[in-house]
Amino acid sequence: MESPPRLSNRRALSRALTRASRASVADCLAAVASSPHDPATRIGITGPPGAGKSTLIARLAATRLEARARMAVLAIDPTSPISRGSILGDRIRMDTVAEHPGLYIRSIPSRNAHDGLADNICEMLMVLDKHGFDEVILETVGVGQADYEIRNLVDTVVLVLVPESGDAVQAMKAGILETADIYVVNKCDCAGAEQMLHDIRSVVDYRHVEPGEWRPPVLSASITDDSIAELDEAINAHSLWRDDHNDADLHRRARLRYHVESLMSRRVAELFDEARSDLLQRPIREVYAELARKLGEVL
Amino acid sequence: MSLKGKRILIAKPGLDGHDVGAKIITLALRDAGADVIYTGLRKSPDYIARVAADEDVDAVGLSILSGSHHTLLAQTLDELAKLGAANIGVFIGGTIAPQDTQALLEMGALGVFTSEMSLNDTLSALEAALS
Ligand SMILES: Nc1nc2c(ncn2[C@@H]2O[C@H](COP(=O)(O)OP(=O)(O)OP(=O)(O)O)[C@@H](O)[C@H]2O)c(=O)[nH]1
Ligand SMILES: [Mg+2]
Repeated sequence: MESPPRLSNRRALSRALTRASRASVADCLAAVASSPHDPATRIGITGPPGAGKSTLIARLAATRLEARARMAVLAIDPTSPISRGSILGDRIRMDTVAEHPGLYIRSIPSRNAHDGLADNICEMLMVLDKHGFDEVILETVGVGQADYEIRNLVDTVVLVLVPESGDAVQAMKAGILETADIYVVNKCDCAGAEQMLHDIRSVVDYRHVEPGEWRPPVLSASITDDSIAELDEAINAHSLWRDDHNDADLHRRARLRYHVESLMSRRVAELFDEARSDLLQRPIREVYAELARKLGEVL
Repeated sequence: MSLKGKRILIAKPGLDGHDVGAKIITLALRDAGADVIYTGLRKSPDYIARVAADEDVDAVGLSILSGSHHTLLAQTLDELAKLGAANIGVFIGGTIAPQDTQALLEMGALGVFTSEMSLNDTLSALEAALS
């Protein structure tokens, strides 16, 4: 028998997350107003499909749980645009740590979100804040070159790349490759890892960094070695750096802006769903004006 | 037919190592609009119940080929109740003798879907049971 879950109100938490994930925009706004909790520390793990994000998170969580009592993982997988269903396959990679009594794992479909995150992800993170986790790890869907919104939700962004994402790196130079706090070249047991490490370092290390600015480390990792300790330390180092250098107000405003933008885009989707079927027969200016008028109504 | 918005856990308790059936139903549920989580092979009823409760699924499907479906169903229902998750329905799929079906339903199974049933019939029955 495993020891009883240390998270006492686990079931209540999982119900609350379901409610938050399904809440209408009006309900989201009501919930925000009533629950100002300090956010948990959040680590975002992002990178191309199949890069080994979930596998890495399992190992990272196991390590970080040695120093923390309560951690949560929110793992997002893509919703099929055709059936609107999903296969939430991240958890199966976390088998090794899933029975840890201090760990809560939740699988989330992206639904209408196209930025690597999920509908109502802000609300779900707020539910976790309320339940007092020491740390939250957020896994994005496998992302392309332009999905760096996760930056607005977490304290530390870890970008996981693999030897085979060589061409992707070229494409990423101007996007997410500029915005991560820590780079991990994963699957270093595979061919091409050295080249990949070299390529990323040539982009990241030669970027001009002002004194006092964070210089993102480029780490190598693989399930076959104990590289996770290095990642663990790099995350701690970044947290310490943030304590001294981070512009908290700037960060707070970025989070707020992302939250409002997501609510508004969800509200637009709600309005399209509620609209009369002839709305889209009309000229674009009229459709825009109609939606803008409805958006203006206070919920 | 739509299971849109339903969260379903497909679990493989017991010792048999064949999960083709579990994978087929996983894909079929996704194509019917459900959000599907699959546990992987050889999971214990208490592990399955805990995942179901944490993930707050609407239903758990136990894919069983080993013949011990009565015990596994009873244990899973029991563990769910202990976790305050008795509202999560449990259905059974796999090789199940026709005479066992009634007994499983009486024990509280949400549905019993044998490999002889068509996928469409299975999905319709599940949709009806969950609506
Ligand atoms: N060779 C090798 N394979 C790995 C390593 N880490 C993970 N894998 C394998 O890579 C595959 C994908 O791993 P996941 O952890 O699911 O990758 P992911 O980035 O979470 O995938 P998505 O969430 O689908 O984008 C699995 O088959 C893993 O076993 C590694 O260090 N080396
Ligand atoms: Mg994953």
